[in-house]
Amino acid sequence: MSVIEVQDLRKTYGDVKAVDGVSFAVEVAEVFGMLGPNGAGKTTTVEILEGLRPRDSGAVGVLGMDPGRDAGNLKRKIGVQLQQVSLYPRLRVAEVIELFASFYGRAGVADHLLSLLGLEERRRAFVKDLSGGQQQRLSVALAMVNDPPIIFLDEPTTGMDPQARRSLWETIEQFKAEGRTVLLTTHYMEEAERLCDRVAVMDHGRIIATDSPEDLVRTHFAEDAIEFSQRNGLAEAEIESLPAVVNASIQGDRVSMFSDDVPASMAALLQLGQERGEPIQNLRLRRATLEDVFLKLTGRTLRD
Amino acid sequence: MRALAQLTLANTREFVRDRAALFWTFAFPLLFVLIFGLVFSRDSATQYEIGLVNEDASPQAGVLVDTLEAMDVFDLSGGNLADEIASLEDGDRRAVIAIPSGWGASIDSGSPMPVDIHYDETRQSSQQVVVPVILQAFEVVDRTLTRSQPVVRPAFQTLRSERLSTIDFIVPGIVAFSVMNAGVFGAVNIVSLRERRVLRRLQATPVSRLTLVSADLILRMVLVLAQSAILIVVARLVFDIRLNSDAGSLAGLAGVVVLGGLAFLAIGFFLGSFTKTEQGFFPVAQVVTFPMMFISGVFFPLEFMPDWLRPVINVLPLTHLAEATRQLMIGGATTIPMGVAVAAMAAYLVVFVALAVRLFRWE
Repeated sequence: MSVIEVQDLRKTYGDVKAVDGVSFAVEVAEVFGMLGPNGAGKTTTVEILEGLRPRDSGAVGVLGMDPGRDAGNLKRKIGVQLQQVSLYPRLRVAEVIELFASFYGRAGVADHLLSLLGLEERRRAFVKDLSGGQQQRLSVALAMVNDPPIIFLDEPTTGMDPQARRSLWETIEQFKAEGRTVLLTTHYMEEAERLCDRVAVMDHGRIIATDSPEDLVRTHFAEDAIEFSQRNGLAEAEIESLPAVVNASIQGDRVSMFSDDVPASMAALLQLGQERGEPIQNLRLRRATLEDVFLKLTGRTLRD
Repeated sequence: MRALAQLTLANTREFVRDRAALFWTFAFPLLFVLIFGLVFSRDSATQYEIGLVNEDASPQAGVLVDTLEAMDVFDLSGGNLADEIASLEDGDRRAVIAIPSGWGASIDSGSPMPVDIHYDETRQSSQQVVVPVILQAFEVVDRTLTRSQPVVRPAFQTLRSERLSTIDFIVPGIVAFSVMNAGVFGAVNIVSLRERRVLRRLQATPVSRLTLVSADLILRMVLVLAQSAILIVVARLVFDIRLNSDAGSLAGLAGVVVLGGLAFLAIGFFLGSFTKTEQGFFPVAQVVTFPMMFISGVFFPLEFMPDWLRPVINVLPLTHLAEATRQLMIGGATTIPMGVAVAAMAAYLVVFVALAVRLFRWE
């Protein structure tokens, strides 16, 4: 059963097509990711679903409600975390949670949420004294005050250290285990691979591909990736012409090439390097990732 | 209701935990009052000027005059009643004591005539210091003359002096000026919430715009009332300013302070809808409030202003607030009738609320 349905959604700001014909559906208890660089249209799409922005055209349904027409009722049922909100600096953590709970006619939820997000020890701390990661966790806690069946998380782990990020991933997995639906935007590939049942890859206001992370990689890369550093002696076309190489890309001095037959390609590469006096360094073999898929589909990296 | 209460509580906590906000709201206006008070207060002397009108040549009257002359706190001057009352009205006397002709004889006959004490009821020190000391002197005379029963019967005659000291004039101006600042600069809260994207976050909850704004209004109105009350009480205690302290005047004053506060808050919301950041808001608010402080009759009477500026001054909201506040606090004639001042502030409120609602942005 789909709890979010989007058909041909469009939103334009002046000349900029922020969202340019986006369609997708999110199933109940699914973690659905929107992966793309800044400016891809992820946030605009999510904020339309949350009832925060009007759309230009297209059909949108969240829990069977139209966010454009029934935002009031919808807001009671969804949990929202936005980017770059800096909450009341001189309120204590528990006070902010109780404040937000009051908007939904609830009270006494702070203890549960603080332990869920690992913020028990910061209960009496002022918001301004929290670290960036703790503030992010607080804003996720605020998305949970009304015990919502759908949670929208807009780049929830930005600014977190790796440990805090992993801990929030566990929390999100718990949401899913409780039967909640999560719509998550991110530009971290590992995050999408670890958490998402399905990922929509977005760029320039469009969805380029939607599938599970494994299938996205499998569809676009039957091959393994060979990575190495070089000074700049070998051109992309030259590398692509090596035996069994299907695709290559150069980012600075780092080269990724994808091969059907790793031993053949690698032998040919090393020989070419030797002939040209180009040292092939930091040679590494790995599986293709979502990052590679994104690069192949858009010609850009996620963090551009 | 829970949401409104919690939001008001949140705003209040944010305010009381912000030392800078506390300073600008309470300490800064108080500093103004203290500085102006120390410069202009006329009650620095420890002696009070008392007019003594003696129309009786009896020995008893002589005893009363001697007793009063012996009081160090009194600086006595004699004359006829009309002149002394005129001096009292001008503020040159704190009280006038009139011994009527035939007073000594009336004591001898067993039914003493009253002795009139004229004083200015608008001065707290007259009621609390001057009159009690006079009554003390009367008791001394009672004991000297009879040792048995009181013979000096005081009769209180109150009047309201026309002459105002500079501090009497300035304190209502500072009250109005502080209400303006608390109102206009109070709107920075919304600007700051918008800049920090908290408004956007609140928009994603079911809380209504009306609840949001109401919570802000409640705190701001409590603040302007508290601020005005503290200013007036301190000025009264320290500098003995003139104040109409009857319930009607005080209630009217509270009403005018709230109306003015709302009007200036609406103006602040309006200004805030043009500025993206808190840092950007302050200069804009300064440009609007600073000139008014000098030309709206806060520190100088409107009569001192050049004629060509009067049409501008007469439409400024602070002019109306200052005139209304002054009229309620010290009475007397003003250049703008109370009804006009109240109507003008109400008009500012309605117009700027409409503009602010129209220009409101969540982000």
